[in-house]
Amino acid sequence: MGSFSIQKGRDILLKGAAKKEIVTIPLPKRVAVQPPDFNGLSSRLRVKVDDHVKVGTTIFSDKGVPEIQVASPASGKVVAVNRGDKRALLSIVIETDGRQEAESRPKFPREKIRTLSKAEITDVLLKGHLWPVLRRRPFSKVADPHLKPKSIFVHAMNSEPLAGDVDFILQGREGEFQAGLDVLKGLTDGDVHLCYAQGATSKALTQAAHVQTHMFSGPHPAGNVSTHIHYVDPINKGDLVWYVEAQDVLRIGSLFLSGVYPTERIVAVTGEGAVHHQVYAKTIVGAPLSSLLGGMTLQQMRCLSGSVLSGRDVGTGGYLRFYDSQVTVIPEGGKRELLGWLMPGARKYTFSRTFLSSFLPQREVSLDSGEHGSHRAIVLNHVYDSLVPLDIMTYFLIKAVLAGNVEEAEQLGILECDEEDFALCTFACPSKTDVGKIIRDGLALIDKKDSV
Amino acid sequence: MKFVENQMKKIGGLFAKGKPLEKFFPFFEAIDTFLLTPGTRTKKAPFVRDAVDLKRVMVSVIIALIPCILMGFYNTGYQIQTAKGLEYSFWGCFGLGLAKVLPIILVSYAAGGFWEALFAVVRKHEINEGFLVTGILYALILPPTIPLWQVAVGISFGVVIGKEIFGGTGMNVLNPALTARAFVFFAYPAQMSGDAVWAAVDGFSRATPLAVVATAQKGTSAIAALTDAGYTFKDMFLGFIPGSIGETSALACLLGLGFLLIAGVASWRVVAGCAVGLTAMSLVFFAFRGENSMAFFNLPPYWHMVMGGFAFGSIFMATDPVSSSATETGKWIYGILIGMLVVLIRMVNPAYPEGVMLAILFMNVFAPLIDHFIVQQNIKRRRARATAK
Repeated sequence: MGSFSIQKGRDILLKGAAKKEIVTIPLPKRVAVQPPDFNGLSSRLRVKVDDHVKVGTTIFSDKGVPEIQVASPASGKVVAVNRGDKRALLSIVIETDGRQEAESRPKFPREKIRTLSKAEITDVLLKGHLWPVLRRRPFSKVADPHLKPKSIFVHAMNSEPLAGDVDFILQGREGEFQAGLDVLKGLTDGDVHLCYAQGATSKALTQAAHVQTHMFSGPHPAGNVSTHIHYVDPINKGDLVWYVEAQDVLRIGSLFLSGVYPTERIVAVTGEGAVHHQVYAKTIVGAPLSSLLGGMTLQQMRCLSGSVLSGRDVGTGGYLRFYDSQVTVIPEGGKRELLGWLMPGARKYTFSRTFLSSFLPQREVSLDSGEHGSHRAIVLNHVYDSLVPLDIMTYFLIKAVLAGNVEEAEQLGILECDEEDFALCTFACPSKTDVGKIIRDGLALIDKKDSV
Repeated sequence: MKFVENQMKKIGGLFAKGKPLEKFFPFFEAIDTFLLTPGTRTKKAPFVRDAVDLKRVMVSVIIALIPCILMGFYNTGYQIQTAKGLEYSFWGCFGLGLAKVLPIILVSYAAGGFWEALFAVVRKHEINEGFLVTGILYALILPPTIPLWQVAVGISFGVVIGKEIFGGTGMNVLNPALTARAFVFFAYPAQMSGDAVWAAVDGFSRATPLAVVATAQKGTSAIAALTDAGYTFKDMFLGFIPGSIGETSALACLLGLGFLLIAGVASWRVVAGCAVGLTAMSLVFFAFRGENSMAFFNLPPYWHMVMGGFAFGSIFMATDPVSSSATETGKWIYGILIGMLVVLIRMVNPAYPEGVMLAILFMNVFAPLIDHFIVQQNIKRRRARATAK
């Protein structure tokens, strides 16, 4: 039991938060399974176009560890297999038939779960297709069932701009949630750390048993997985930690209790572009964004699966990513202004204090997708420090990566980070440096070197 | 606005890949983004970006320099007036100074800008806004009588040797403006130092406050020597004294500092460190003053601060984020050592009456070393954590 107050970081007060109301969305006509969502898996397709699938039918499996399989979230017919460069699988689209017939799996009564062995649990998760919800640090890849993590983190808060309130989503769900936590506990000899926001009220969180609970408060990135791990059980070289999203803990609990591949996903629909639809939408994994936005015709809008800081631009025709529980719609930017560098800027949004707006009272802001500047060499090297709450020297870390000095990057703690931890740095950088990409490249370099 | 946008789009076509002017794209980019904010959109997360860019940052430094620039115009004229013993009006002084100083600023921008642009074209990168600051900083730390060709030679050295050969903006070890100043200081000492270069009147010479104290008889009071030479604390604080164009007024520098700190562009740690270092070192000398020691020994620290280039150097030069230390603790160490070195060079070294330029350049060289030790601390902490379990 710990309580951590994060000082560094910053909240971006975006317009368009979701109303605290859960709206059930009708089953979408199409859903998609997108292999690129699963970092670290190399996909081997197990269905063809026109195949009929059920809920829980294997769509693809990993080439490295074939037991890791990803399932269809709906029953219906495979209508498209989309490939990209070098025939890499991009998405498998399934036309739903509305019946949601499911493959059946063994189920377990609540009290039996705690008696299951690690091997049994691993087997149920793998065969039940829920294994991929477990991810690992370093590298944020899908966990390998043959490796032992030193601890498992449950990510039960989110501090990204407009992110859904995990505490609200978990209200009244303590049964499944505790079952899920028990499963996780059975997977590791170490601790299961449940990290949630200070002030949470749901019984699922406050009365969670058999786990270590930790409360975090403060500005973003107080809710990031890296922040939690860094303060609770930091990763040293050679360490392995698993983490899982709170909603996926619900799904794990539900798989064991019901014996059916659980597909439910509660998504916060946010952003000023999502007018009239800013609610918590109860839908299924892999749902199309259009179904959440009520078929709105969006012009000059950017549709993101995830948040503005770490999401992906999937477009109006895109689908929700596997791990995401947020959709954000923001206006497109790119409007040019005459002599913008000289204007007082009463309506500009900035972390710096170089515009008049910095001295006016803070209110919710409207931000578009404009880059607001051109790429330059890094000159102001002090902007990053106040935005990263980890004991990481960001400027020196990115210099080490850019110089290709993998060893120094490791010494400076790159293995404790993920690119999302530096999204605020990229946001605030006056030279418009993509700090997250540098970190991602550095991690990829180390991952490649280690696996050889 | 739409008109400007359309025109730029039309012209921009000529600089596109494969078009005749492709090589000169950096020029187009510089002018295009000067006129209009860039219209680029984010492609990957994060999808929203801060409104600040490097142009805005550099422009705020230039705004912070405005008091020094205006004071530089006025004081240059004022010194001519005093030298000739004439009565000019306020605008007379200002106009006279403007006529002297403006050509220096323009030559600095033109010559330095030429090298910036040349390297941008050859290296195929954008023209960096940082030069807007380097160009004016360099002009402000020159004596008003400097021949224009020396202005051009100096800034060329500063930009090419001080910055571009290290890889350009963001990579330089030394502050380019100070490198340029140091070059002309050592290459053309006759036009850069002595008593005759500070007022733009032929044949007139007057010792600067620093020279007055340095040459005062041993065992005498430094303040008395300054008063005898006609320098009061008030004049030195306000800046009505001979000296380099923009650095005579501590008040103008403080106004600039206020703006830099409000805008959050300069590091207060460096400036505070400089003040702490200078105070500490001059107090040490003050404590050891004897009957026969140099007059400098009994000069109180707050007089040191308004003399020479200390205020300007510590506020606008030492705070350059690229050439200063990049860690928070490092900035303190870096600043304090600059302050101490300034006093040390002023007092102990008989060759140079002023030490700010050399102190900052010297610490520029050491800044990476300071950072290295602080980064090692971080690495050690991480290693200790790993072995603790």
